[in-house]
Parts: sequence; C-alpha cells; structure tokens
Amino acid sequence: MDERLLEILEDINPEVDFESCTTLIDDHLLDSLSIISLVAEIEEEFDITIPTVEIIPENFNSAEKLWEMITRLAEED
Amino acid sequence: MFSITTYFSAEALLLLLVTVVLYACLPQKARRYVLLLSSYIFFFSISGKLLAFLLFSTLSVHHIGLWLSTVQNECSISTKGLERDKRKALNAVYQKKQRRIMTFACILHIGLLVLLKYTPFFSQNINALLGLLGLQFRIPVPKFLIPIGISFYTLQAVAYLFDVYRKKIPADKNLLRLALFMSFFPQLMEGPICRYSDTAEALYEAPKMRYDNFVLGAQRILFGVMKKLVIADRLNLLIQNVYGEPTKYDGFVIALSAVGYTFQLYADFSGTMDLVIGAAQMFGINLPENFKRPFFSTTISEFWKRWHITLGTWFKDYIFFPVSMSKPMKKLTTKARKKLGNHYGPLIAGSVSLFCVWFCNGLWHGAGWNYIFFGMYHFLLILSGNITEPVVVKITQKLKINRSAFPYRCVQIIRTFILVCFGEMFFRQESLKLGFKMFGKIFTDFTLKTLKDGSFFKFGLDRHDYLIIIVSAALLFIIGILQEKGICIRSSIAKKNIAVQFAIFYALILFIIIFGAYGAGYVPLDPIYAGF
Repeated sequence: MDERLLEILEDINPEVDFESCTTLIDDHLLDSLSIISLVAEIEEEFDITIPTVEIIPENFNSAEKLWEMITRLAEED
Repeated sequence: MFSITTYFSAEALLLLLVTVVLYACLPQKARRYVLLLSSYIFFFSISGKLLAFLLFSTLSVHHIGLWLSTVQNECSISTKGLERDKRKALNAVYQKKQRRIMTFACILHIGLLVLLKYTPFFSQNINALLGLLGLQFRIPVPKFLIPIGISFYTLQAVAYLFDVYRKKIPADKNLLRLALFMSFFPQLMEGPICRYSDTAEALYEAPKMRYDNFVLGAQRILFGVMKKLVIADRLNLLIQNVYGEPTKYDGFVIALSAVGYTFQLYADFSGTMDLVIGAAQMFGINLPENFKRPFFSTTISEFWKRWHITLGTWFKDYIFFPVSMSKPMKKLTTKARKKLGNHYGPLIAGSVSLFCVWFCNGLWHGAGWNYIFFGMYHFLLILSGNITEPVVVKITQKLKINRSAFPYRCVQIIRTFILVCFGEMFFRQESLKLGFKMFGKIFTDFTLKTLKDGSFFKFGLDRHDYLIIIVSAALLFIIGILQEKGICIRSSIAKKNIAVQFAIFYALILFIIIFGAYGAGYVPLDPIYAGF
C-alpha cells in the first residue's frame, strides 16, 4: 500500500483503520464531503484526473481499491 | 376511443393484461416487439400525437450516442502508439469535440423540456417584472401540451448520453433496444428513472414469463393498489378542502392536513411504484427501487436517500459530483481544507453543488415558485445540518448522549418527519403566500375546538374514514419495521404453502374492495408525480 495515499486518508478521517477497512462507503466512513476532499488531494498528489464515472462505491470502499484505481488511471493517462 | 388517464384505471389494467397474455404466448423475438408496441399504445392513449416527441427523443439519443462513439473510436485509433505528450494533446482535441456534441445534446433534450414546461412560467414572471417597472410591453405567454413522462424520459436520455460520453457504457447500435429503454410503459409516466445499464438488456432479452415472478409481481401490484385506493384516495377530500381554502380552517386542521398530505403523497407515489415495479416483475424485468421506508429517516439528507431514490441518485451522479469535481471547485476544496479543516473545507464546494442540485430538483417538480421554494427549503435544511454537525457531535459527547441510542434516534425521526411535512405543505400549496399563511396559522391559531364540537369530522372525512386511515397507516408502519429489520415479507409469504398464499391474496383483495375509497362520494386523486 502506498504511504502517501494512507497519509491522505488518515488526514481526512484519523479515526479509521484504512489498512484493514473494506467498507468505507457502505459504513458511511467516507461521506460526500470526504470524497470531494479525497479526490482533490489524490489528483494533486498523484498528478492524475479522476473522472466522475470512477466515483462509485466499488472504487472507494477500501484503500486497496483506491490504490488500484489510482494506478489504473495513471497507466491510462 | 381507448384512453388512459392513470395507471389505476380499467383501461391501463386491460392493456397490462393483454400485454401479459401476448408476452406469455409469443416466442422471445416477438415478446420485445409486444413490449414496445404496448408502450407506444400506452403513450398514445394518454398524449396522442405528442408521441412524436418520444420518438424524436429516441431517434436523437440513438444518433448522438453513435456520433460520440465514432469520435471516441477515431480518438483511440489516432492516439495509438503516440508519446505521452502528443497523446495528451490529441486527446484534448477529441475531448473538446465530444464536449461540443454533449452541449448540442443537452440543448436539444433539456432545451425541449424547458421550452414545453417552463416557457409559460418564465414569460409570466418576465411580464410581472415589466409591470413592476411600469412598462406597457408584454411578451406572449404560450400554452403548450406536454407529453406524458417527458420529465422522466428526458433524464433517462441525458443519463444515457453522459454514460456513453464518460465511456461507462458503449453506444447502442440497436435502435429497438434503445427504444424499449426509453419507453417501457410501466415506468413511462412516473419512473423510476432507470439507467441504461439497469434495464435495457433485460428489456431486449424479454425473458420467459415465470410463475413465481408473475405471482410476486401481482402481489406487489395489489399492495400498491391498496396504498392508492385505501389511503391516498380516501385522504383526497380533506386535502382538497383544506388546501383549496386554507383560511377557513384553524391551525390544528391545517397541521393535520399537512401530515395527511405527506402521507397521501407517499401512499400515491410509493403505491404507484409498487404497481410499476410489480408489473415489470411479471415480465421478469427488475426495476430499481424508488422508496426505502423514508419515514424512518433520522435526517433530511437521509430522507432523500430513501424517497424518490432514482431522482436523488440522478442528481448526485449528473449534477452534484460533476459540479463539485470541476476544476475550480477542486482548487477551492484544496485551499479551503488547509484553512478550514476537514469538515468545513470541502463544505464550500459541496454547498455550491448542493444548491445546484436543489434548485434543479425544485424546478424539475414543476414550473412554480412553490417548487423553487421547496427546493431551497431542503437545500437550507441539509446545509444547516452539515454546518452544525461538528457542534452537535461535541455537545452530545459532552452531555454523554449516545447518538445511536433508540430514544435519540426516535427524536431525530420525529423531527425529520415534521420538517418534511412543512416542506410538503409548501409543495402542495400552489400559492406561496397561502403556504406561508398556513404555516403561520399552525402556530398562531392552534385550537382543538373543531375536535371538541365534532365539526372536524365534517371537513371531508368522518370517523370511519379516519379509523381506516389509521389502521392502514399502522399496517404500513409494522411492515416498515419488519423490513427495517431485514425481513423480506413477500419472500416469507412465498415460502408458505399455496393455501396460505392465496388466503393472504384474497384478504388483501377484500381489504381493497371493502375499504377502498371509490365510487359515489369520493374523488380519486390524479396521479401526482405524472404531472411533473
């Protein structure tokens, strides 16, 4: 897991164990406002663009899924 | 002439029955044509020649989808093997081309909706403004006939095009499949607002009719008819009287009719959704749910995730996230987070998006100031909830109040329900001025006088009517609690032996026949959401 991503996530919500949690959206640990922050931070940090079509629960439910999306978008870019 | 005014009419039922029989008898290839033909007959029997609008939208969506697809294909061929910088530059050129197509598509489809639905409202307001400025000049106020379901199928059309544009789905070359998606008759009048990926393939496949689907669908239809005939139609006389001349009534009657209207709207719309989803299930088509026990919501925000769900998710996917993820908003969020922290930082961009969502939501429901007020009312409620959330968390922590405890949640549920009832009161009352008068009377003229002298039972509903409504509400409440606990009632019934299943079926039919508000002395409620 990428440390930079974990740092961003922990900064947004320090009370969640992002390394193990796989239900970030389903359990409402990330709400719409957190997603707005998260997308802005990830785009800045990893120099990618996250299109709105990617904003689906499957991509945001865990740090691992987020990382998969980031690497995929970076390759496609 | 064969004419349909509502789903709950003999003609609509006849069309459904004939379609079911033909669908069950014919081979797969013919079944999809049966569905399309029934859909167009349904539309024609309500809107007549305005069917041309639906046909135009279908053809246009088909063509624009393919146009986008051609540009996307050209882009991937031209950029293949290029270096990153060159590829990016060329991608940007094609992106611009696609954006121009989407702008054209939005002007065409949303423009048509705006022209037919909102031009009279805008013209009237411009004329009022000209009058205020003392000018004699007036612009003509046109009167258009609006094709049934245009607000619903336009959203489906726009969603399809955006999904193709975002490469979420490929453009459909098959005009028949797209026509079925745009016009499937059970959902045409009041939704649910479906996505192409939800229904198009299943409609085209036209699966074989199955006994279990037929029975489950029929059960659901009956449940919807119960909600409509027993609750919504029964409440209609009281609601019509009080909302027609609210100044005649005291605060207690107005408060009760505000609660009654909220309940009527729920019974009418969710009952229609039961009928729609049940009818589709008979053909083996699963439509998305539009309601999830909204009166159990603890916040307004949660309420809108449980009421007219498909409209909410449409606004979230095609307005909220695109606005909040736009470049200026992202920059704003990053800057604001550094200064205002994790909660209030993204709240600024979130609030701008929320405003857009609720302004559109209000206007979508109708061209009137009461609808715009309704949208802004919910925007402010959700915004204030977001602003005060950290403070509420701190206070409850200090007071050692468990926010997930049952009593706290009960208070939240009651508060949310009251706020919803106020919002729906303005929604129903076409005159905003009268809406405020009704609101004021609840607090300044609240008396139980009419209840004591018995005149309360002469405003449209008698004791017998109230008793039926209360029993039906209790029934829905119990069913709601069971569903909240994860118990699926229809599946439980399906597991019982056939005698028990039929006994429940007949009990429900008898309940509708005995307690339904139909015939002399009753005024059936016009389908509320079909007017939007």
